[in-house]
Amino acid sequence: MAKIELTRNPFIKNALKSRYPQLAVFIVMLVGYIFAILAGLIGTSVGSHNFSIVFVWIAWWAILILVAVPFFGRGWCAVCPIPLPGEWLQRGAVLSPPDKKPKWLNLRVPKMFRNIWLQNISFLLLALFSSVLLTTPNITGIVLAAMLFAAIGLSTIFERRSFCRYLCPVGGFIGLYSQTAPIELRVKDKQVCVKCEGKPCYNGSQAGYGCPWDVFPGGLTKNTYCGLCMECIRTCPHDNIAINLRPFSADLAKPSTRMDEAFKSFIMLGSAMIYAGVLLGPWGAFKNAAYNVGTGAWFLYAIIFLAIIFVILPGLFTLGILPTKSTLPLKQRFASLSTALIPLGLLFWVAFSLSFVLTNASYILAALSDPLGLGWNLFGTANTTWQPMLTSLLAPAQTLALVGGLIWSARTAQKAANEIKISSIPVIAFCFITTLVMLWLLL
Amino acid sequence: MNSRFSLLLFVMAGLAVAFAPLPVPPITPQVQTFEIGAGQFAYSPSELKVNPGDTVNIQLVSTDVVHGLYIDGYDISIEADPGQTKTLSFVADKPGSFRFRCNITCGAMHPFMIGKLTVGTNNWFLRSIGLATLAIISVIVSVKQKA
Amino acid sequence: MKRSELLSRILITVTIVGAIGTPLFIWARTPLIHASVAEDGGWNPDTIQAHIGVPLHLKLTSDDVVHGFAVGQIDMQSVDVLPGKVTDLTLTFDKPGIYTFFCTRWCGLNHWRMRGTIEVSGSPSEPEPATVPMYVTLNLDIDVLHDSPVVPKQTPSAIRGQELITNSPILRSSNYYRSHSPYQVFDDLSDTSLTESQRWDVVAYLWRSNTSKDSFANGKQLYTQNCAACHGENGSGDGVFADDLTAAGEASMQTMTGADDMMMQSPVDFTNPVRMLGASPALLQGKILRGGMGTGMPMWGSIFTEEQIWDLIAYIYSFQFEYQQ
Repeated sequence: MAKIELTRNPFIKNALKSRYPQLAVFIVMLVGYIFAILAGLIGTSVGSHNFSIVFVWIAWWAILILVAVPFFGRGWCAVCPIPLPGEWLQRGAVLSPPDKKPKWLNLRVPKMFRNIWLQNISFLLLALFSSVLLTTPNITGIVLAAMLFAAIGLSTIFERRSFCRYLCPVGGFIGLYSQTAPIELRVKDKQVCVKCEGKPCYNGSQAGYGCPWDVFPGGLTKNTYCGLCMECIRTCPHDNIAINLRPFSADLAKPSTRMDEAFKSFIMLGSAMIYAGVLLGPWGAFKNAAYNVGTGAWFLYAIIFLAIIFVILPGLFTLGILPTKSTLPLKQRFASLSTALIPLGLLFWVAFSLSFVLTNASYILAALSDPLGLGWNLFGTANTTWQPMLTSLLAPAQTLALVGGLIWSARTAQKAANEIKISSIPVIAFCFITTLVMLWLLL
Repeated sequence: MNSRFSLLLFVMAGLAVAFAPLPVPPITPQVQTFEIGAGQFAYSPSELKVNPGDTVNIQLVSTDVVHGLYIDGYDISIEADPGQTKTLSFVADKPGSFRFRCNITCGAMHPFMIGKLTVGTNNWFLRSIGLATLAIISVIVSVKQKA
Repeated sequence: MKRSELLSRILITVTIVGAIGTPLFIWARTPLIHASVAEDGGWNPDTIQAHIGVPLHLKLTSDDVVHGFAVGQIDMQSVDVLPGKVTDLTLTFDKPGIYTFFCTRWCGLNHWRMRGTIEVSGSPSEPEPATVPMYVTLNLDIDVLHDSPVVPKQTPSAIRGQELITNSPILRSSNYYRSHSPYQVFDDLSDTSLTESQRWDVVAYLWRSNTSKDSFANGKQLYTQNCAACHGENGSGDGVFADDLTAAGEASMQTMTGADDMMMQSPVDFTNPVRMLGASPALLQGKILRGGMGTGMPMWGSIFTEEQIWDLIAYIYSFQFEYQQ
């Protein structure tokens, strides 16, 4: 299946090149985000009736994991409001391209942080406190505000979108999973880039800013670090940048050998399984342990959580691939083969999310009409009763997602193993076993 | 055997595993009564097992605040105040595994207050295991075919 | 700066200020009464000011679990106070004074402590004399043991008693009933020719005749909503909070001299004939009005009307007597 260049269509191209449509979306998102902070801080303490919990952890999460990531890769990053105030400060403008040097310190992020380990840690921090975060409006409000201020702060010190690239807990996993998406931003002809003077796509020009994601578009071969902000489409003087439709998981054919990315796939796989067991299972003791932060039970829960993610899962995986012989050292084999866990992890999260989203989506209508729990009825839907949706379709949908993810991962494992001339059976076996566990936890 | 043919074979096997009717063991339906305690944020007991066709009576005893019990799939529910046990009666005519959950906001972890009702065997889970196994076999076969 | 840049900046500023300012303004001007479980503060605020004749508009919301709201000793239907939702209620008072409002849906061990006051000002039309409860006029010590020396061998039946009743007017007066324990009435009947079992049946009938079908039903509902959670749905003192109360009692520093302090901390078993048959309705009224002095038994004086308490007492005795076939 070949690639289809979407930006060939003049309507699409102009919509992406023009700053106005993007600005309109940005304003809506930024206002919504700040309103979510307000709702979290002054609205009702009851999560299910507070805009911040319902619209962040149900509505936004559902759209993110069920639509944006599988179909648009880093599509959420393209419209996320978090970097905007900081970026506007850096640029000294909201809309206009630069006509003077960038403001503020503009330091380069130190090399030791130029990886996704900080993102792994920030995701894990949220994950360990997730039971409190997902159910307590003022905690959600504080976390959202903290991310916004961190992004603004980092923008005044470092260049480009350093929060997005190196700290954002969400960016860590959607970058990894964007490799599976059917959309990509790539240059049309590499030779044009070779001859290009000044590389304005990276360095900026009168037409626009240099890539906020610190990516050189001419060298993009994978989606992982491109935030789809469309700035390079505006700056490229040779019209050499395109948005393409392509087969799913095209990027996984070139497995990465980075350890930070490898562990990210274990973090995501493990946390999906743990949440399926703790949050959706019938075992009350685990839920209380997860919720009562600071107690002995919670410490035990946190230790087990981290052990599963950093020791048990990668340990089993490594044991499986140890016997395989290859010219590649174990570390690189480990990283390259763990690429196979990317589609599996994504679909584990889809299967898990389907359950609580379909169960609780009815809260969205109520929270829309009475976002702060003050007794408003803005759209007439404030008294919508809680009603799980499509519950008869849930189990088949989860099976489809998990078995589909298994097949996809097995085939990815095949290709990755072939690249380094070893057997894919251990990885396939690992995927099979974890899928069985997930099926047992969810069904 | 060329790959097109084996793909077709696997798809047909998959459909069979997913949808072929399974024999229902002939168990006489009976009346089963359970007393379930509900406290923040778990049910006790939290896992119930009945046979298809049984008349099930669930006596909900709330032990701290007002709780409810809603059964996915059956779309029926009941709520109980502490000191006022209420009974939910229904015929378990749908086989499979169903989660039951609290439908009265009872505190922070309310959305995760969940139990599990199994009517008969959890057939869908068994089918899923079958499908996953079939999927693995098909991938391994295609690996061997390409080799 | 270019015009588009200026307009964009204005648009952004206006929308953000509007999206923050408007809800913030409305929120600050919305007077909500928040309900949380007693351990987290109960009602906030817990004192409300009102004036006679002026409608008091209340907006109630719960910050955690299902609560309810009612005002003691006035004729009103309780309303539910639901998590995340707002209940609107308008009350008008015609007599000044301090009214107690309370939670009406069980929300934990300390549910009964969830109370507040409404201070209603205004000049009284005429001063109301306070009614002195019967246990005070009778000089009853409601904290001493009141065990019945004799208990019936079978459940006394009001049906059988009805056929045996004498025509003595004293026996039939409500004053007599209220001031005497079942045992005392049983003892007073010893000058008749009735057997012990028949005498208990007459007692059962007397007790039933001092209440009506509606009052009994009212008493049952009051018991179910207010008492069953501790005293048990079947009156055996085994309600869902009984264990927690006993555990709290063990930790409690308060002891009663001359009494079994462990027993004092567990909810009373109304099916125990020794204890119940030695208690007069006036004694029970006293205990209900005043509460348990360090035990978990709430004081209901500001909550129930006198009529409600007599109705409740009539129901409580039905754990001892058979009122119908």
